[in-house]
Amino acid sequence: MSDVLLSVENFSGAFRAADGRLTPVLHDVNFALRTGAITAVVGETGSGKSLTALSILGIQPATFVRTSGRILFEGRDLLTLGATALRAIRGRRISMVFQDARAAMNPVFTVGQQLAEVFRLQHGGSRDAAMAKAIDALRRVSIPEPERRARQYPHEFSGGMAQRAMIAMAALICRPTLLILDEPTTGLDVTIQSEIMELIVELGRSAGLTACLITHDLGVVAETCDAVVVMNAGRVVETGTAEAIFTAPQHAYTRKLLAASLLVPA
Amino acid sequence: MSAPHILESVAGHDATADTPTAPPSPAVQVAVPTRRRAPLSWSMRIGLAVLVFYCAVALLSLVWTPFDPLSPGVGEGYMPPSREFLLGTDRLGSDILSRIMAGARYDLGITLVAVTIALVVGTILGTIAGYYGGTVDIVISRCVEVFQAFPGLLFAMLVVKAVGPGVLNIILVMSFIGIPDYLRLSRAEIRSRRNWPYAEAARMVGNRSWQVAFRHLLPNSAGPLLAFTSINAAFVALVTASLGFLGLGLDPNTPEWGSMIARGQDGVMTGEWWLSFFPGLAILGMTGAFYLLGDALSDLTDPRRRR
Repeated sequence: MSDVLLSVENFSGAFRAADGRLTPVLHDVNFALRTGAITAVVGETGSGKSLTALSILGIQPATFVRTSGRILFEGRDLLTLGATALRAIRGRRISMVFQDARAAMNPVFTVGQQLAEVFRLQHGGSRDAAMAKAIDALRRVSIPEPERRARQYPHEFSGGMAQRAMIAMAALICRPTLLILDEPTTGLDVTIQSEIMELIVELGRSAGLTACLITHDLGVVAETCDAVVVMNAGRVVETGTAEAIFTAPQHAYTRKLLAASLLVPA
Repeated sequence: MSAPHILESVAGHDATADTPTAPPSPAVQVAVPTRRRAPLSWSMRIGLAVLVFYCAVALLSLVWTPFDPLSPGVGEGYMPPSREFLLGTDRLGSDILSRIMAGARYDLGITLVAVTIALVVGTILGTIAGYYGGTVDIVISRCVEVFQAFPGLLFAMLVVKAVGPGVLNIILVMSFIGIPDYLRLSRAEIRSRRNWPYAEAARMVGNRSWQVAFRHLLPNSAGPLLAFTSINAAFVALVTASLGFLGLGLDPNTPEWGSMIARGQDGVMTGEWWLSFFPGLAILGMTGAFYLLGDALSDLTDPRRRR
């Protein structure tokens, strides 16, 4: 298994209440992301999928504490890295597409400024060169009139366009090895959803990106992903290739999810 | 280990910068043009115009006033407004117009410098306290709250009485009075935003914590801070004049508006209204302009409220 880019091993965690009591929410989570593959982590709201993903980047809520396990990225445990080492990984090696792209952009800067700023933060260079890269990135995610759009503020973008810009930032400006997508299509129109997913798959394939797609939409998973991790109530209940999960689900919860998604006749 | 980057040309240093699908666009090379500006609102224009006028008068008074503002007896005492003395003369026969012009240097100057110091220091401390929280927050907040234990004017009177008169002392006292307000405002602003998705996003792409706090979060608070700054400026102008009125802070002969009102207050009863009226009008105009400006500034700094 030398082609594993990131592995979550026996990862357990809990929320610490103000009085110090722990409420366990993740139980022995195990899964691995293979290099170059798109892996989906599916499960219902509250199953711990987003929490696991946020922990990978070290931006989990402050009240969340790890009780055991580790998250290995290229052989290093991300949970033991110091602030400086983490900063070197964030964005440059692992970046993330947030669920609500418009909220993830700063309302007082133009979209172009934000992409350019991230570019300069990670690659340096002049303001003008960075802005040219930003516009180029917007063009690559099929945003029409990228020069004009770059001068607009996030509130002038539709949800779908904002998500494209977010993907441009996370995938093209940051140029990470691992891209985490936290419900990137939730809250978008169904037609826009499929466009965004196509874009993600296309970028993933052409760049050899390793992607981790967090979603509760099995329809999205069936079309795009190579491997699937099913989570429920803080546990991984089933892992396998997309084909195996969809044709021969082993766990009752997986079957329930499939039935609920209307992809497979119940 | 890491995957090859075919998308090199976007983020990297590859020469193949032009995508095959996109026609070469000249706009890419051009620096981003300045954004279209909304026309300034009327309150903004009036506020700005008045303040520019005050600044101009303050500067002009350095080189020219109708009469020497400091010398008594350029006319007779208690002369009403006339062609020679446009705003009349005071008890000692000094020209009131000249003294008001010279007074702009003191009142406007003290206000602007004190407010700037309070804004900068208070906002920096507030942003640090709000973003980092915990012990840092407690130490900063408690230290600064000491200054809030006294009402502003009382505190200013006590300190000025203790450290002695002088422009510098008044400026320092005024900024100390303002710092806690700026601190509390910016602290609350930053606190409410530090866990918003765009703050997370800023951390996620590898920003340092001070960059997130000062470069990503603080600009979002520019509107409330600027609006408060102008209201605070009006307050500082009033307290400065109040100190002068009470005979504290500056040499009594200084042509400061507050002390001019104090000098003329006896005349109000006996009909020599111009002694206090015109300095009062000067204070009113300045504080009013600050209020108008603040209102308009808070609109202008929010992109969603720009048209």
